[in-house]
Amino acid sequence: MSELDRLQDFISAALRRRRDLSRDPVIVAQAEREIHATSHFSPARHLEIYREQFWLRHTQSLLEDFPGIAGILGQSDWERLVEEYLLAQPPASFSLRDLGEKLPAFLESADFLPQRELVLDMARLEWAHIEVFDAPALPPLAPESVATLDEEALASARLLLSPALRLLDLSYPVPELRNRLLSAKGSLVDLPLPEPSPTRLVLYRRELSTVHCRLRRAPFTLLEALSRGVSLGNACEAACALGEREAASVEREVATWFADWVARGFIVGVR
Amino acid sequence: MTERTTVPDLGVGVGLRVPHYRGVLERRPPLDFFEIISENFMVPGGKPRHHLERVLETYRVVQHGVSLDIGGPQGPSPEYLRRLKALARETGTPWVSDHFCWCGSSGVHLHDLLPLPYTEEAIRRVSERARVVQDTLELPFALENTSSYLTYRSSSMPEWEFLTEVTERADIGLLLDVNNIYVSSYNHGLDPIQFLEGIPAHRVVQIHVAGHTHVGEYIIDTHRGPILPPVWDLYRLAIERIGSVSTLIEWDDAIPELDVLLAEADQARSERDRALAARARGETSVDAEAVRAALCALRGQPAVRDPGWLQGGPRESAGKESDHEAA
Ligand SMILES: [Fe+2]
Repeated sequence: MSELDRLQDFISAALRRRRDLSRDPVIVAQAEREIHATSHFSPARHLEIYREQFWLRHTQSLLEDFPGIAGILGQSDWERLVEEYLLAQPPASFSLRDLGEKLPAFLESADFLPQRELVLDMARLEWAHIEVFDAPALPPLAPESVATLDEEALASARLLLSPALRLLDLSYPVPELRNRLLSAKGSLVDLPLPEPSPTRLVLYRRELSTVHCRLRRAPFTLLEALSRGVSLGNACEAACALGEREAASVEREVATWFADWVARGFIVGVR
Repeated sequence: MTERTTVPDLGVGVGLRVPHYRGVLERRPPLDFFEIISENFMVPGGKPRHHLERVLETYRVVQHGVSLDIGGPQGPSPEYLRRLKALARETGTPWVSDHFCWCGSSGVHLHDLLPLPYTEEAIRRVSERARVVQDTLELPFALENTSSYLTYRSSSMPEWEFLTEVTERADIGLLLDVNNIYVSSYNHGLDPIQFLEGIPAHRVVQIHVAGHTHVGEYIIDTHRGPILPPVWDLYRLAIERIGSVSTLIEWDDAIPELDVLLAEADQARSERDRALAARARGETSVDAEAVRAALCALRGQPAVRDPGWLQGGPRESAGKESDHEAA
């Protein structure tokens, strides 16, 4: 390891420390070996300027991307979450856009948080927003390309879903809560938090805006199977296997669902 | 070979920032070019790319990056360079720039422009990598002097010598940030005139000017507020030394109305003309002693609370958008 690498490893680790560097004698001593003191600041205090910025910048970035979580938690729990998350998952991507990528997974074991299930659902929704926001736009499937398939070919067809689409199977109605929190601009204390209720969403881009629609259990199951590359026939079977009512609804409505999904640009190809 | 004479002088431009998209696209104001923060557009689609395409219909766009990490232990990632190059193909940028800095180690990206020690080891590392970056991008490549808030005991030369050595050995351009000279001079007790005289003028392919924030013991390169008079003086001094070179206004924090920014660009144009006229006459328009005196006078002047900094202003992001239920 070179001198330069050693210096950079020291600084990189120091900047991610949670507390004021001048309180840690080991860091103070090493900073004195590496960094000049000035008439106004000690070496550790010079480093501290950058350490404060590290936390400010990444906290701010997460707040921009996850305003719903911050709104549910309130300031002190939000700050605790950010601190624990950044310590466990230091930023690795060149882009701040990716900073929250591992937040939903992190939340699954974040037992210290109140309302964890609600927060987790919000994290899934907000991360999906980020992914849908700048995903590639592909032209929707031309209806003719399925019209020519016979019944057997149709059953074995695998449909390609739009990359600017996410399916979310959630326990809380978080889209409405997020919109209320966004319009309250952070002053959230009095907002009643919702009771659990199954919320199956398709989040997708229409023109340049992100919108969502809710799906009942059968069409959601069908679409979710398609997203995993399951053939159309098997996806329909999976939806029918949910129960008699669902099977009847697949039978009756599948053509309508498809027409709607194609019109909304959910389906972009057929294999 | 990347030198001032091998890249075009684009005139005066401003940084393209999210709050101005609407005004820019509706009014298409007369501006010589926009500079974009490359990372904000290294995504496959959606609003960022849509807005960039609309801007490219009317304007030249120059790419400036903040995350290359030319000086860290790992060095630039091949995937990053691949995406940067793909974007450069689409924007038609005449050159690509980033900073003399490092951004993290052991797989961590700190999203900051951390200062390098001015050592032979750092010169070798940065110049070798810069050459590879320039060859990979197949475009002129330039690095920018940064503002800094600490200096290393291991440094064995002044910053301007370091910049000169790297740009010469790597055969790359220098993006000269005049405000950063001012900020670092205050923070480290340097003479900004000597700094400016020490840089390799023939390597300068672009100049940045920006506002800064005086927080007392040090100045932060916040890119907030208008450019202050001593920085305009330094800018004219730079133009008198270098000649006509593309100039960019950076304004990333407390971003003003578009018209305020356009007025700042007009001011840059007139400062540039004034300096070029003085240069043509073999004179100077700058009282160097006054610049030094302004810097000294800052000590003890009232300061604001540390406002923090973020390179490149806000990203266009999903977080601020509420979504509605589709019909
Ligand atoms: Fe700059």
